[in-house]
Amino acid sequence: MIDDELDAGAPMDACDVATLAAVRELYAVLDPVPRGVAERSAFAMTIAALETEMMNLVGSGPLVGARSDAPVEARTITFTSERLTVMITIGPAGDGVRVDGWVAPGGGFAVELHRPDGVVRTSSDEDGRFVLEEVPHGAASIVVPAHAGEPAVSTPVVEL
Amino acid sequence: MTEHTHDAIEAPGHGSTLGDRAAYAVVRYRSGDPTALDAFVREATPLLWHTARSQGTPRELADDVVQSTWVALVRHVDTIEEPMATLKWLLITTKRTAWDVVRRHRTAERASAPLPDDDPTGPPRELVDDTSGPADLVLRDERDRALWDALATLPERCRTLLRLVSMADRPDYRAISEAVGMPVGSIGSTRGRCLAKLRTALRGTAAGQEGQS
Repeated sequence: MIDDELDAGAPMDACDVATLAAVRELYAVLDPVPRGVAERSAFAMTIAALETEMMNLVGSGPLVGARSDAPVEARTITFTSERLTVMITIGPAGDGVRVDGWVAPGGGFAVELHRPDGVVRTSSDEDGRFVLEEVPHGAASIVVPAHAGEPAVSTPVVEL
Repeated sequence: MTEHTHDAIEAPGHGSTLGDRAAYAVVRYRSGDPTALDAFVREATPLLWHTARSQGTPRELADDVVQSTWVALVRHVDTIEEPMATLKWLLITTKRTAWDVVRRHRTAERASAPLPDDDPTGPPRELVDDTSGPADLVLRDERDRALWDALATLPERCRTLLRLVSMADRPDYRAISEAVGMPVGSIGSTRGRCLAKLRTALRGTAAGQEGQS
């Protein structure tokens, strides 16, 4: 630890500091950190504290057939855990979005949409489909609560 | 929560490093303050993002890598024996998560459809530094261009080290160097050498001379 302190405290001259600041600004142009990453992470940490198992994001993209010049295009995101797959399609609806979802394998699950300001609850039908209409824009995570001895799972936080 | 008897720690003051602030946040979080990590998450997220990107994570997956890393911290916060090692743990976790996510994504893509850039004769995509392609188009500012040209002449590890070190106020060079895979023995001088190389390269450009004088 002493090494670390000496090292971190090692004097960088003004020129070093200015050079590093310029490097930082360069990458802010070349590869900017998207807005909201820290906020989505903080919200994901809050959901993780609910003891859910976090699903993996396996793919996302514009919905096939969506026009590329459409102002707001529908997009589809797929998540998997060991036993469940959740696919959601997000499209514009009113001031917010409509989420069409599908949980596989089907069979009717409670489904929750967690936002920093609250939870919306619905359930999937026998085929695994669920719909959340007019959800406000912003950070959100889909949670399938624990049931029949299976642990709760949650998707990574996405921007709706 | 597990008791961590050696968790007594002083609030980081002026001149503290990112590693000190990480340790303090973790200790307070463990002691039952759920908001204790918030400021540190905001401060360290750019460093984690650029760590993920420097491992070849595509932009659209880097958000997921950063989130997964922070979630892993919450899940493992009680197993971190030495709070001062938190930052190093985060950087290594980011790196491993980046590899996992990139591998999983490529597997999923292969399963669905072949993509033009899956050309087996080309370089594997996770090794492509995709900031280098559009740089000429994106950088309108001449000084930025000169700096990018100078950075491009550095060995890749030096470039990555400087990129990451620039992302935080008083970052821990040791943690970053280890995460980047640089030799651990002489971190200060490694950083110094990389900065010196960059300055030399910059001196070759008019904009560089202007900036350094």
